[in-house]
Amino acid sequence: MSLYVLCFILFAIGIYCLLVKKNLVKKVVGLGIAEYAINLFFILLGYRPGAEAPILDPNRVITDFVDPLPQALILTSIVIGLGVTALMVAIVVRLYEKYKTFDIDEIRRLRG
Amino acid sequence: MSLIVKRITRITVSLIFLFGVYIVMHGHLTPGGGFAGGVIIALSFIHLVLAFGKEEALKRLKESTVSIVESIGGLMFLGIALLGLFGGYFFLNILAKGKPFHLFSSGIIILCNIAIFLKVGAGLFAIFIALAVFRMPVSDNEEAGSNPKGIGPEDTFKRGPKK
Repeated sequence: MSLYVLCFILFAIGIYCLLVKKNLVKKVVGLGIAEYAINLFFILLGYRPGAEAPILDPNRVITDFVDPLPQALILTSIVIGLGVTALMVAIVVRLYEKYKTFDIDEIRRLRG
Repeated sequence: MSLIVKRITRITVSLIFLFGVYIVMHGHLTPGGGFAGGVIIALSFIHLVLAFGKEEALKRLKESTVSIVESIGGLMFLGIALLGLFGGYFFLNILAKGKPFHLFSSGIIILCNIAIFLKVGAGLFAIFIALAVFRMPVSDNEEAGSNPKGIGPEDTFKRGPKK
């Protein structure tokens, strides 16, 4: 149970970084932290103490294995996270080329 | 980069590439598969860009080649899926299954892994070179509109929206 709480604390750190920090690169890193906290939470949901990885082995029969469904879901989530991060970094690079800064307070033309 | 990085890179890049090929080929037997192997192989090319600069890496793998390989990966996956229509339905595994736990078994899954590997590896390397190497030129419209007579960005709103 305490591991789940730690996952939510990590998620809260990511959201805090996303909302409070002024630097755009730090915002990207914050969203990455939040995303990996969610991934960790789902993997922990499928975890069982003392269980093995759900891989077929020709030499022996594995009866006690962890839940493979969250792992398959999170593999897709990691791929989507890669795409989202690449898109955000591309937009930040374009903003830096246009405004020569990462600080969102200095990017004024987007206002009003 | 320094001489040490270049020497080590020349040794390790082929090993990283080989490890990626191993991950792809054993995707139906062990953990891994097309996505993980594709990421590892893309990282071997990114390693080249970081050590030798963009010219050396783009000489081995041009950006047009990357685009073509990525498209081939997607079309190959679609073709494998449509191949199942000959046997009955979409994604039917019509090839010989072989014996379990052997390298050439499981029918079309190994071909699907190779298609995904082409798509992911080429796509990830294309993302990297698009972000790191190419600089988009600032268009004339933005150049003229942003600063005609030393007017700062703050004054844009007063002059109304730009066309």
